[in-house]
Amino acid sequence: MNDRNEFDEDPQLRAILGQADPARSLTPADPQGLARLLEDTMATDITEETTTPVRQRGARTWLGVAAAVAVIAGGGFAVASSMGGDEPTTPAAVDKPEPAADPVVVTLQAPTLAAKCAMPTPEILAQFDTAFSGTVTAVDGDVITLTPTETFAGDAADEVDIVGGMDGRALGGVVDFQVGETYYVSAMGGQVSACGYSGSTSDSQLSELYNVAFR
Amino acid sequence: MSDEVTDAGRRARFEAVAGLVTEPVRRFLARRTDAETADDVLADTLLVCWRRLDDVPDGDEALPWAYGVARHALANAERSARRQRRLAYRITVVDPPSETAPEDEQPDDRVAAALARLRPDEAELLRLWAWEQLGPAEIATVLDLTPNAVSIRLHRARGRLKEILEES
Repeated sequence: MNDRNEFDEDPQLRAILGQADPARSLTPADPQGLARLLEDTMATDITEETTTPVRQRGARTWLGVAAAVAVIAGGGFAVASSMGGDEPTTPAAVDKPEPAADPVVVTLQAPTLAAKCAMPTPEILAQFDTAFSGTVTAVDGDVITLTPTETFAGDAADEVDIVGGMDGRALGGVVDFQVGETYYVSAMGGQVSACGYSGSTSDSQLSELYNVAFR
Repeated sequence: MSDEVTDAGRRARFEAVAGLVTEPVRRFLARRTDAETADDVLADTLLVCWRRLDDVPDGDEALPWAYGVARHALANAERSARRQRRLAYRITVVDPPSETAPEDEQPDDRVAAALARLRPDEAELLRLWAWEQLGPAEIATVLDLTPNAVSIRLHRARGRLKEILEES
């Protein structure tokens, strides 16, 4: 590629960096272990609604068999748009999931209040206790199910359910959740924000907001 | 189309993708985390490739895509790990590391130390350029940027690294 030549300028620095490559001394993978890994992966049922892998592995919080549901009780939540206005209500007590091998499923409430919204700012977004980007795997009645890809705030979960939306059009119709599409979702005290802090990841302004808030 | 045929086709496609990405993603992870986490994240990455097989780009473009997946999975893993480490620090006393004189450091350590002083996104650009040896379009895929932004930021990152290396 021609652009690669210009792009590659500075072979010296590249060589210096290359010297420090940790993978230089990496031992080759065990072929049998690898074959087993691929087989295990293909044994996973992709038609299941939940994202529970069949594999059983170490003590990582997002692997395992049974799904443990951690419900964050939805509380009324004064939207952060009223800067210095309303006091935020105290979120209800949270049952923390055991840090065991079970995958974590988190349930959030779609907002029910018609909230007055100011322009979203990264400073406010940074205060949300839950924020992630994820892909919608199912829209069933008033439950929208997402698999988080990247978690910016709050516990990393295997699956997030937003309840109380209407046929995928949660957040007062502002965000239309489609299966297979990816969205940013942020929530405070178990309730999803209604004021422009959640939306499609293809929204460049929203992406920029998240980049700045969670740098 | 019978389920068997679909299933066999799917398996074949996945095996082709896995053949292309497994070893490079393994190295990618070995460069960025410990062995145990690397193993776990590799497995998670392959699982995403299997589940989202229809989203995997054709041919060689599957690799930068897989790097992107691995990167997100690694970030999630590190977030969980950080939380667990924070709990540990509350009950154990951590011995501070002894001072190492700059002359004692191996050249490798000097570079590693310099990379650690960069912003995380700058360091990642340099790693993808020098270790994964990706071109601007490929890096753009991994980091979800435009190739233009990649070129500009990479140029800046190289300058910063050189400054830091010259300082030490």
